[in-house]
Amino acid sequence: MTLNAVPDNAAPTFALRLTNVGVTLGARPILEHITFEPAVGQINAIIGPNGAGKTTLLRAILGLVPYTGRIEWGASRNGKPLRVGYVPQRLDFDRGIPMTVMDFMCAGLQRTPVWLGHHRQARQLAQTWLDRVGGKDWADQPLGRLSGGELQRVLLAMALSDEPEILLLDEPVSGVDVTGEELFCDLLASLQRDSRYTMLLVSHDLSIVTRHAQYVLCLNKTVKCSGRTVETLTAENLKALYQQEVALYAHTGEHEGHSHGHTHHHGGSCGK
Amino acid sequence: MSTALATIDLWSSVILPAIDEALRRILPTKWGEYQFMRYALLECLLLAPVCAAVGVKVVNFRMAFFSDAISHSAFAGVAIGLLLHESFSAADPRMTLVLFGLIVGLGIAYVRRTTDLSNDTVIGVFFSAVVALGIAIVTRSGARTTQFQRYLYGDILNLDSADLGLSLLLGIAVLVFMIAGFNRLILVGLNDELAHSRGIRVRLYDYLFTLLLALVVTVSIRTAGILLVTALLVIPAATARNLARSAGGMFWWAIAFGLLSGVAGTLASFSDYLANVGTGAVIVLASVFFFIISALLRHK
Repeated sequence: MTLNAVPDNAAPTFALRLTNVGVTLGARPILEHITFEPAVGQINAIIGPNGAGKTTLLRAILGLVPYTGRIEWGASRNGKPLRVGYVPQRLDFDRGIPMTVMDFMCAGLQRTPVWLGHHRQARQLAQTWLDRVGGKDWADQPLGRLSGGELQRVLLAMALSDEPEILLLDEPVSGVDVTGEELFCDLLASLQRDSRYTMLLVSHDLSIVTRHAQYVLCLNKTVKCSGRTVETLTAENLKALYQQEVALYAHTGEHEGHSHGHTHHHGGSCGK
Repeated sequence: MSTALATIDLWSSVILPAIDEALRRILPTKWGEYQFMRYALLECLLLAPVCAAVGVKVVNFRMAFFSDAISHSAFAGVAIGLLLHESFSAADPRMTLVLFGLIVGLGIAYVRRTTDLSNDTVIGVFFSAVVALGIAIVTRSGARTTQFQRYLYGDILNLDSADLGLSLLLGIAVLVFMIAGFNRLILVGLNDELAHSRGIRVRLYDYLFTLLLALVVTVSIRTAGILLVTALLVIPAATARNLARSAGGMFWWAIAFGLLSGVAGTLASFSDYLANVGTGAVIVLASVFFFIISALLRHK
């Protein structure tokens, strides 16, 4: 991790910088020549067809897959490395495990094992963030009983409780019902407004991206286009990115807001 | 080295006799008359909570089959020990089975991480390999079935101070791990990437837990036997899972049921009715009894 010298009290100039990043799995190149710097304090969306390498890019950024090129992290205000929060794609776990939402939160927040009880400070911090994501009464609920959307909000609370400066979100609302999706996206938007997190959001849902992300990176093995969302998501760019699915996506983009079901219905088939 | 020897000496000549004497005074004559009975009970008090605590993770991570494969690796582990014992008298099947179990555990964990084969396929291959290897060695080197029976069914009524010392050490190791690693293992069990993003060394914890599990299983074999050792881990934890709503609840219920079935089973096997019944089997039957009750309560 590179520590750039940032003068005290100055706003960090960048949060994350990728230079010529490539990922090869086996002999197959998944990503090539990715150069990209998410805008600080903004929601940056990564879009692209299935198999474009969106999740792989996020995994490379997290250091979970080997990559070539350079990935640099900015420094936070106090000169320390940036704290990174991560919200995974739909958690696939054994829903019968006896574990309350508070158990889960405290497992991430305290050192003493949760079988010795919840540390008072960890409990308070967890409750604060649960309140923030609209889960005031969830503390004692079993984690496995939450709906998909509620679980994603708990995962968001978990990531936020670590006081990150940059948030990485991998398809945070895939498989979540429409109401849950709305709630989650509004929450992200309000967090970004209030606290100026730098967010990197992988999404295949263009209606979410157009409404919530200020910046967008179009990915299909390489960077196809990037920039401000309004300027970047043009019909030509989308055509180049998704090839045959253009009509559908252009359509979705125009009728944002009331086309969720539509998008999801066709979403599964795009890019295959 | 000399401190280690001094510690062993302190254990076998001072600490253990003191505990043994205390047990002799506390227990009614019927249960505490002979040293082997007191040792069996002490072994239960040490091992049952250890197995139950590790079992919580085994049940929640769906590793029962893995645990079974480790215990069956004792076929080969013991066979190798018996074979070596013929040439080197220092070789002890109790030790070779632990070492072999650790190697098999790491082998499974490694293959699972580096191939895309499903968990149960990888374990199934190892399972068959170790059992076949054990049978091959034993049949080749002549009948040793009587020696083998100890390990198949367990031999809790035949423990010495070294056995109990080993159980104590294991208990300390598991306690340390459960204090230092319990929370992190929760996150690793839910999602690798999430754990990693919070600075947890996922692979390290994966291997550490695998090693610890292999250690617990192989050390417990002399108590419960190859065939039943997984039950000591899985059944109390499964009972606890039926009753608990929180992570802490499951942990403590598992330990309670582990201790309860261990002690109840051991004492029951001393009774006149069950005089010739294997103690390991009685312990497991007791735990199954509690499991059935918990399952009935859950579905009410």
